[in-house]
Amino acid sequence: MSNGSFNRVKSIAKKEVIEFTRDWRTIIAIIVIPILMFPLLFIMFPLLLESEAAELNSIVVDVVIQSEETPDVLIEEFNTSTMNILEENLSNVSPLSEPGDDLERLRSLSVDAILRVEQRDDVWYYAILHISTSESSNEARSRIIEGLIVWENNETQRIISEQGLDVNSTLNPVRWDGDVSQGDVATEGEQAGMVLSLFIPLVLAVWTFSSAIQPSIDMTAGERERGTLEALLSLPCTRNELLLGKWLGVATITGVGVILQIFGLLFAIGYLATSSIIGIPDLSLEAILLIVISIMLFAVMVVALELALAMRSHSVKEAGSILGPAIILIIFPALFTQVINLDGVENFWFAVPVVNVLLALRELLMDRVIVEHIAIWFGTSLLYALMAAYYAAKQFGREDIVTSLS
Amino acid sequence: MTETLMTISNVSKSFGEVEALREISLEINSGEVVGLVGSNGAGKTTLLRLMSGVYKPTSGSVCLDDGTPVDKMRQRLGVVPESTGLYSRLTAWENIRYHSRMHGIDDDDSWNRTSRFAKHLDMLENLGRHTKGFSRGMKQKTALLRALAHGPSVLLLDEPTAGLDITSARTVRALVKQLRDEGGTIVYSTHHLAEAEQVCDRIIIIHNGDIQADGSPAELLEDTNSKNLEEAYVSLTQEKARPRNDDLESEGKFTRWWRRLFTPRTPKTILGDDSSE
Repeated sequence: MSNGSFNRVKSIAKKEVIEFTRDWRTIIAIIVIPILMFPLLFIMFPLLLESEAAELNSIVVDVVIQSEETPDVLIEEFNTSTMNILEENLSNVSPLSEPGDDLERLRSLSVDAILRVEQRDDVWYYAILHISTSESSNEARSRIIEGLIVWENNETQRIISEQGLDVNSTLNPVRWDGDVSQGDVATEGEQAGMVLSLFIPLVLAVWTFSSAIQPSIDMTAGERERGTLEALLSLPCTRNELLLGKWLGVATITGVGVILQIFGLLFAIGYLATSSIIGIPDLSLEAILLIVISIMLFAVMVVALELALAMRSHSVKEAGSILGPAIILIIFPALFTQVINLDGVENFWFAVPVVNVLLALRELLMDRVIVEHIAIWFGTSLLYALMAAYYAAKQFGREDIVTSLS
Repeated sequence: MTETLMTISNVSKSFGEVEALREISLEINSGEVVGLVGSNGAGKTTLLRLMSGVYKPTSGSVCLDDGTPVDKMRQRLGVVPESTGLYSRLTAWENIRYHSRMHGIDDDDSWNRTSRFAKHLDMLENLGRHTKGFSRGMKQKTALLRALAHGPSVLLLDEPTAGLDITSARTVRALVKQLRDEGGTIVYSTHHLAEAEQVCDRIIIIHNGDIQADGSPAELLEDTNSKNLEEAYVSLTQEKARPRNDDLESEGKFTRWWRRLFTPRTPKTILGDDSSE
């Protein structure tokens, strides 16, 4: 590439980035959302769930116990400040789960749940009636079940003792010896890599594709619709220089978005690591390098393809209606890749478009550097990237791209 | 002796089945303002795009004085398309500088030329403003400054006064005259004969893809034995003007078929008796 050609490509890319960053909506879409997405998902969402659970725990539920003779142990279990217990005689219903006359009481939420208990011979039968569309009714049911479990355990132990047997050895005849976590010889870092490999490739692929849609359309069909493309095409730059400049512009914007998203993800992981929920993955330098290469090849392919499809479209609207649904081409293989078993995975998977990069990322995040697989995904990814670039060059070389519909 | 700056030899241009231009041959000489006059869809914009190298001829050639095809020597051209083509999130100067850099011109040189012409166009104060809020006239002036910033040999202007108010149109015309007086070569597309008469040394009348006449305003009047240019134009273009072919250029066959599938037919009572045509 000559000095003049390089300068023109640089000017195009620079102008695209400047123009794009001057739109505050873009800044929110490309910078703020990626930074906040994972921290919100991993930190705020669990906190929200926690506070919701605490709120549920504190609510007072109305529970009716219907029985001829309610066991005292059970009453004691339910005797808390957050449960209003009303005892009633058991009406003649069979089976106990048949709502009968209690249907309306539950549906109108005048009571949250009804526990029916009946002893027949030596066995206690029970049924819990509730309405699953009500949060307080579900909560009442959960608390009843907790109480029933305690009562059942007490009953089981009592019966075993009465038979003259040792409760512990009867209930737990097979036991784990030692610390359960010691049995897994994978390091914490490897385990973290395994967990992260299940969603990082998916997020990277989807985000790379989706964040490139808007700039790709804006720089191609958008330029044509705004009437700026004709002036640009009459400048002394080749169509390939134009494509390369615009590719660099989109790749820079998308790259910034992906990098920020990864920072957000690492921050969230760091936070979770302090809570011992997940560790930091152990990655060798070569694995990190290969991860970067695989993402770059994927970005070359995706951005070139999106630019080509957007340039092929006659309007911004048409480009949007092509590139929007095209995300399925990424999501479907990405989801499919998650279920492929990496142990003994067949080599051909590393040649399938999109799947190859995602599988590579999964392997590399688990610090598995397998030369044979690397050779296949690198070769095929390079080929697909070149094919996409060739297709984009063909679209940019079309004479009718200048025609403005505006 | 006038020097030929651009030669268009036997150029035809087709879009699918539509022949936009047929066997056009003409020369653009140094220091003249050439007016391309024709109705909508006549082929003016197509010819200008061929001159700027945006389109390639289906047959024939468009070359500069040294025999180089125009698409290989675009740095010698300054182009103002009909749409002006300004980026709204850039300032006027950033728009100009972007094009100058693409032409390989140093920022200082570009600024010196721009500020000189900006004074004439009363635009110096507005160069630092984003073009988003510009009026049509200001946009047109900025596009002109942008096309002039690298010192082109030939300036191609596609309907530069379309949509401008009277004052802005006068300013643009005054600049064109000034450039001509300084020895500039300009190709000026318009469908206003009065404007062409005011500004141009030579008028080329295009109709349905053919050149119907090429000469000075006086020569056109003499050749057609007319009292004024409007009369001359009418006598040269009596055939019905064809529709614009933008749709044919930009729409795929399947897209057109699909659009028509969901378009109800216009009742004959609305179209009248001629609907059977």
